Amino acid sequence: MVEEKSKEAAKPGTVRDGKPKKKKGVEVKVKKTPKPKTIKPGTVRYGKRKKVGEKQKIFIEKPIGGEKNGGTRMVRVKKLPAYYATQLNPKRRTKHTKNRFRPLRSSITPGTVCILVAGPHRGKRVVFLKQLARGLCLITGPFKINACPLRRVNQIYLIATATKIDISGCDIPKHINDEYFRRVKVKRAKKEEGDIFEQKKEKYVPSEQRKKDQAVVDKLIVSAIKKREDKKMLFGYLGSVFTLRNKMYPHRLSF
Amino acid sequence: MKVEKKKVTKPIRLYAKAVFTGYKRGQRAQHEKTALLKVDGAKNKDDGRYYIGKRCAYVYKCKKKTPCSYGGKSKLRVIWGKVTRIHGNSGVVRAKFARSLPPRAMGRRVRVMMYPSRI
Repeated sequence: MVEEKSKEAAKPGTVRDGKPKKKKGVEVKVKKTPKPKTIKPGTVRYGKRKKVGEKQKIFIEKPIGGEKNGGTRMVRVKKLPAYYATQLNPKRRTKHTKNRFRPLRSSITPGTVCILVAGPHRGKRVVFLKQLARGLCLITGPFKINACPLRRVNQIYLIATATKIDISGCDIPKHINDEYFRRVKVKRAKKEEGDIFEQKKEKYVPSEQRKKDQAVVDKLIVSAIKKREDKKMLFGYLGSVFTLRNKMYPHRLSF
Repeated sequence: MKVEKKKVTKPIRLYAKAVFTGYKRGQRAQHEKTALLKVDGAKNKDDGRYYIGKRCAYVYKCKKKTPCSYGGKSKLRVIWGKVTRIHGNSGVVRAKFARSLPPRAMGRRVRVMMYPSRI
């Protein structure tokens, strides 16, 4: 009985179980196979192989030297991978460094006088202008008062004081952003004369653009300070430097 | 070194003074990974809490000049660390350093910086 059935089904082009028959051979996929496709038992990978017209060679004969080596070897066209992961697609831990934006402390608002606690301008009292897109704080001395330029600073190096200047009227130029402060890497010529390890320490010279912007911003801030009653005190305050002294303990200080 | 390079400025101190009193220990065994720092003026837990997370530095002098970060060479060396938690009720604080503090630092000055600032 079974034989009869198989004979009937063996006619070419007949449909078995409602699905078209596939050609034998695991590697090759026939281009014109209509969907839905039956997955042939023993198929290791489905759908990942490229549809090729020709059968791809797995092994190639390569000639080798040596008298008694048989002249040729069968070499794989594509080497087997040297590493097989024990877990495919392992769960990657998310990196949080891309989005480094950290919300500002509530004590730091535009116009707050802050004390810089680290860096080349440590101890100076500066004016906080705004938080930039990447999360860093834009501050300025102002430059005329304490030689601190327009600068980006992380808020962890700022101690916010209670003194706040009203800079709501001040329109800080919009081109002053993270890109503006980005360090420009000096590209070295490939053929450099002299020692490669020669340290060329080029001293930083502020660009004309920076000087211009500094003057513009400083003017705004200084005019905001001048509106206050205690402007004399404030100018002196911004010009002076913060330092800890005897019996001054940071945990007891209120700023 | 936190001294300004300009000619006419007094040195400014932006760190709290602390003393390295010893390593974290039980009665008979000490664990050198963690140092105990007694911060000047901190008398209770709340005082100590201010310093958690702050960077600290053990600064010491050596015979040979070694390069320093801002260029040039100096005889000063630093071991950086940070305050990890408070220790006990009296303002003493625990700190972990990049390399464990040397035992000769006991009784000597450690600087507790004011950054990362939380104020």
